[in-house]
Amino acid sequence: MPQATREIKRRIRSIKSTHQITRAMELVSAAKMRRAVQNVLATRTYAQLGWQLLSELSARTDQSRHPLLARREQIKRLGLVIISSNRGLCGGFNHQLTHRTNQYIQKNREQNPQLEVDLVTVGKRGRDIMLRTGHNIVAEFTKADITTRIEVVAPIAKLLISDYLSGKSDRVVMAYTDFISPLTQKPIIKQLLPIVKEVDLNLGSARVAGVKQEEQAANFNYEYLFEPTPDAVLENLLPRLLEVQLYQALLESDASEHSARMMSMRNATDAAHDMISSLTLAFNQARQASITTELADITGGRAALGA
Amino acid sequence: MPKTLEFQIATPERVVFEAPAVEEIILPTQMGEITILPDHIPLVSSLVAGEIRVKVGGQEVSMAVSGGFIEVRPGKVVVLADTAERAEEIDEHRAEEAREKARQLMQEKKTETTDYTGLAAKLERELARLKVVRKHRERKNLGPKAVE
Repeated sequence: MPQATREIKRRIRSIKSTHQITRAMELVSAAKMRRAVQNVLATRTYAQLGWQLLSELSARTDQSRHPLLARREQIKRLGLVIISSNRGLCGGFNHQLTHRTNQYIQKNREQNPQLEVDLVTVGKRGRDIMLRTGHNIVAEFTKADITTRIEVVAPIAKLLISDYLSGKSDRVVMAYTDFISPLTQKPIIKQLLPIVKEVDLNLGSARVAGVKQEEQAANFNYEYLFEPTPDAVLENLLPRLLEVQLYQALLESDASEHSARMMSMRNATDAAHDMISSLTLAFNQARQASITTELADITGGRAALGA
Repeated sequence: MPKTLEFQIATPERVVFEAPAVEEIILPTQMGEITILPDHIPLVSSLVAGEIRVKVGGQEVSMAVSGGFIEVRPGKVVVLADTAERAEEIDEHRAEEAREKARQLMQEKKTETTDYTGLAAKLERELARLKVVRKHRERKNLGPKAVE
């Protein structure tokens, strides 16, 4: 008997310790998620208003007013910012994002076989995956577990803008994970430069109360007046609002990452629980079976002796 | 019924104030203070540190802001501020202290230009906050706060 039960006992013990670890990780992620979600919700309105302003501006002002608004005829190089997580154990979070990115790149390559893609990675996991798939990475930024200050995106924005202005990239997009709810996150590709109106792929948007979609405004054919001069205003405004978009994407990714990790850890904890109870059942059955055989042996021996 | 504007002021931290119908908004811009009334033409401008006053339902709400942007659309005004506080929320004593600190630092570091511009902006912001809170107190007839 001891052989079978000892084996099961050992497995139960190891699963129990895994169960403990995953439960602890779930609790940690839950706390981080709460903070990240709080951050993301606080800035959403600001980011969305900023994006509305950007897209209205691009639709209503002359493209030649500022190089960041001007569209280019030919897209030879694509700049792509991919915002992933630093650590794994968060379910399909990073793979969904990289899969979506690869799809996007492939679709664009079909239209334009000569397209070169330069990646800027934020977060270690995305970098590793993209390296493995053989993409060209031009810059790598580190990322905190939870982003709380807008200053951290300034260098990223600076790099993107200077690359775009110097012609190193003809279009800049970013890939991030949009936080919809703790249960759902969606990988999204959003165009940053040049700033155009059509590609509004809602940055955490449409769900923000208090910011209505401006349908009626689109009917008016108005142009903005700039004070003091268009150049002076746009020079400050465009980079700043781009920063805000990047920052918001980073926050959305943070919130998504922590909720994805919390969910996958909860699933692991539940699975460990199930395994423990089925193994305990198997253990008890094995123990009972060995007792029964022993008893049968004893009584069988006795009957043989007595006869 | 007189015409009104929708007004919203947001910072990266939160939405500080929003109202569906305001009569008048006074904003500090690079070119000086401007007043926005309903039917203003669409405008984009930069905001500087100062005081925003909003007339809503006959009452005036005042806020201290640092830099940011203003967007006037037909029927709506949006302010994207870097920081903004309602007058009631500012603690005068702390604002005074912060101003003093910024000014001292500025005198010490006048030679280092990078720091200087940052500090000058900070001082300006603190001054704006102080101005708003003082006015707010006067209006409420609370008198100046006792200085320790």
